[in-house]
Amino acid sequence: MSTTDLDNAAAPPAARRFTVPVSLARYGAALRTPRGMIAAGILLALTAIALLAPVIFPQGYDVQSRDRFLGMSTQHLFGTDEYGRDIFVRTVYGLRTDLALVAIAVPVSGVIGSLLGLSGAVWPRFGNLMQRVFDVIIGFPSFILALCVVVVMGVGFASTVVAITILGLPGFGRLARSGALEQQNREYVVAARTLGVSRRRILTRHIVPNTADPLIVHGAIFAVNAVFIESGLGILGLGVQPPQPSLGSLLNVGMRYVREAPTYPVGPILVLLLLALALSMLSDSLNERVNRR
Amino acid sequence: MMTTSESTDTPAAADRPARIPDPRPGSRNLLDVRDLRVSFPTPRGVVEAVNGVSFSLEQGRILGIVGESGSGKSVTARAVMRMLREPGRVDGGSVTLDGRDVLAVPEKEMRGLRGGEVAMVFQDPQAALNPVMKVGDQIAEALRVHGVPKAAARDRALELFRQVGIPDVERTIDQYPHEFSGGMRQRVVIAIALANKPRLLIADEPTTALDVTIQAQILELLVELRNDLGVAIVMITHDMGVVAELCDDLVVMYGGRVVESGSVKDVFAEQRHPYTKALLTAVPRADAGGDQLVAIPGSPPNPADLPPGCSFAPRCPVARPSCSEAVPPLEELAPDHRAACFVSAEGGDLSMPPAVQARHRAARAAEGEPVLSVENLRTNVSRQRSLIGRIQPVYAVDGLSLEVRPGETLGLVGESGCGKSTLSRTIVGINEVSAGTITVDGRDVTRMTGADRQHVANTIQYIFQDPYASLNPRRTIGQSMDEALEMTGVTGSAARSRAAELMDTVGLAEGHLARYPHEFSGGQRQRVGIARALAKEPKLLICDEPVSALDVSIQAQIINLLEELRERLTIGLLFIAHDLSVVRHLSDRVAVMYLGRIVETGTVQEVYDDPQHPYTKSLLSATPEPVVDDQGRQRIVLTGDMPSPANPPSGCRFRTRCPIGPLFREGREVCEQEVPELTLTPVGQTAACHFPGELTEGAPA
Repeated sequence: MSTTDLDNAAAPPAARRFTVPVSLARYGAALRTPRGMIAAGILLALTAIALLAPVIFPQGYDVQSRDRFLGMSTQHLFGTDEYGRDIFVRTVYGLRTDLALVAIAVPVSGVIGSLLGLSGAVWPRFGNLMQRVFDVIIGFPSFILALCVVVVMGVGFASTVVAITILGLPGFGRLARSGALEQQNREYVVAARTLGVSRRRILTRHIVPNTADPLIVHGAIFAVNAVFIESGLGILGLGVQPPQPSLGSLLNVGMRYVREAPTYPVGPILVLLLLALALSMLSDSLNERVNRR
Repeated sequence: MMTTSESTDTPAAADRPARIPDPRPGSRNLLDVRDLRVSFPTPRGVVEAVNGVSFSLEQGRILGIVGESGSGKSVTARAVMRMLREPGRVDGGSVTLDGRDVLAVPEKEMRGLRGGEVAMVFQDPQAALNPVMKVGDQIAEALRVHGVPKAAARDRALELFRQVGIPDVERTIDQYPHEFSGGMRQRVVIAIALANKPRLLIADEPTTALDVTIQAQILELLVELRNDLGVAIVMITHDMGVVAELCDDLVVMYGGRVVESGSVKDVFAEQRHPYTKALLTAVPRADAGGDQLVAIPGSPPNPADLPPGCSFAPRCPVARPSCSEAVPPLEELAPDHRAACFVSAEGGDLSMPPAVQARHRAARAAEGEPVLSVENLRTNVSRQRSLIGRIQPVYAVDGLSLEVRPGETLGLVGESGCGKSTLSRTIVGINEVSAGTITVDGRDVTRMTGADRQHVANTIQYIFQDPYASLNPRRTIGQSMDEALEMTGVTGSAARSRAAELMDTVGLAEGHLARYPHEFSGGQRQRVGIARALAKEPKLLICDEPVSALDVSIQAQIINLLEELRERLTIGLLFIAHDLSVVRHLSDRVAVMYLGRIVETGTVQEVYDDPQHPYTKSLLSATPEPVVDDQGRQRIVLTGDMPSPANPPSGCRFRTRCPIGPLFREGREVCEQEVPELTLTPVGQTAACHFPGELTEGAPA
């Protein structure tokens, strides 16, 4: 806390009318902690590899050969699978799938969930109804719910995205609602009301910016979940379908052939853990620096 | 001088024993603190919170440690208990309790000392008690850790409860903390502290969170305990009135150092340090008129960034250039009266420059149409439904009428829970009106339609108690000001220049507009709050406890600012406060509120000089004044607490505590049966009492 000089002392020049908003600086500070730096580093590296996959491995993830079930070696870093495909290449492409999932499903879920949660501030009845809908979503075991989505939409990337999005709604929605309810009683909101500021303005100007931090931190936490949900669906065979790889589906198939090639699932598991670890370290450091008042 | 060889507050201090000789060898000091230094290493450098503090305390005396936020008074107390918060550490000095070096004893033995020899009472009794444990068990726990058998513990607990004046002990001992009122909880905390017959009690602002009438009860209790049990008490406070009332000796702290110490009598008779002197003149007094207060400029220093030399020099009216160069030593300037001031040591004149315009503001004659008029207002604050789904009303404001005219100040006084904030929130449309009418500037706004709200927002503005909470932390002051100006239709460059103008009006600079709320000190934030309220050019400002969250030396600045604005802009003020002195200082008329109703109202002179309602009389009597020869004065200390508005007493609402009511006088059934109306008394003001003017000074039944 850099409290100021004397009460009546001359003020600095009026040059900095627009400075960095308080919270952005805190995100920066979060990333500068050791944990934040490691997390950001791992995530950057994984993203770079995934994005560059078509450049590094232009032949694609479906090149088959007769060398089935090879173990780990310098030639095939993670070995080969039942069609003689390089598991490392497939893992990198699988990572690409997972990152795409996280990058689409988490923000979409976050935005929709938050809007539904905040809707109560404008339409109280609708807001209450949404809370009950969230309860229902939470009440369903997540895989049953994913199963329902798959039944309606068929298996594939799109239905995985939709399933993850729906599963994320209650978390974001409840957090946004509780944040808004708390903000509503804050004195600066009361102050704005006594100034005659409209409800909508108060919502967009005072309530939303002040509830954003916990939502962003929750987004990082939910990203970890999204990776695990995908792999869970993959293990059940309900996720992304072959030949397109995902970390989950690699695990699914790998476990099936674990007797023929014991090292088959090891590579994908390591990458999956690395991704989850980085995301959870990121959410931890954000939580520590950003979320405290 | 002590070297800073030690880096923790754990024992291993064989090199610590008294290198600094006790100035009075053989004296029977219970507590001796010598040259105590405490620092807090932070990522941004070491903060020296306590810097060479020395004082001593004899058995059975009460020592007041006075200071503002950041003065190091609480840190000193915690260091004595060896309970510094992380990462605080004792860098040097000694603390001797009854001949034992507290800083050197092993932690295990220290645990025996804590609670056994020394006990502590905290500011917030709610936080100091475990909410899921019966209070009796909590006292028993304190006893049993010090080796009292279980069976004896309960008897001792009952005895302690009686000692601290808790009624109906056999029943209340098995209650949970939430079943007690604030004052009673503080009694419980004191009972726990006393459990093992400590010889020293450290009380850190024990009455700050309490109402005046409850504060009077607790202060009375502390004096009794001292007289009956002979405990010594260290009383940490910011209130010179409390010091004058309670303490024998006084230590004034500023910027981590002792600036003045001596007996209360000597210090109040003649202050040897300009800070002490300024503190006493900056506080409004309930028994004095409305001359402008001599405010101390600036704000208390940040302990992380102390000015060189004397920390008070930048704010000191008599400072010399040399004051900023060296730290003045604490010297004995009169027998047992020390001060750390170069000017004072040379016998220099410490008298303050007279107030800029020493003027006595004549009470403004009520003229013109009222800006605000409230009639028979009732406000329900409950949303609790009974079994059949009906709302069970709780009227926090129950049949209240008042008027404020342009340029006039109405002071509204009452204790917490009397409904004063509910009233102000109802006026601006935050709470709903249940019955009665509100007229703002000639327009009936009781129904609070959209247009009504706009009308109210254009006429009345609100100043909050906590300026930090009332500013959006994400928006610069400029953005907050723009929002207010936008509402009046001023935008763009016009808004910018108007914002700059408003900042100037409240004594801030245009450059402050670019800053965020956290970059300001408390006093500056309150100025921002006032500037924002002025943006709408209101005809009435509602000030809800605008200075009670501020340091004493800052309060006077804000009070003076409000006074000045009122004169310059002819704004009406509805000034709500629990502090009678502040209200007297600012107001033309005053209304005293009790449990949702006004019990007495009139001009300030009428009400303060000759209060007619026993409640007003008791409030005035309970307010500690910073005057020493007051100590002999007989106070009216009310018993009990304010009843809940959910279940108000029949007849007169004050009768359950009234010193002239049915509790103390025979044949006063009328108080239980008939609601007293506000009627004109012979002296001039109106009071709602069946026996107005009967209670006189110091004569409770």
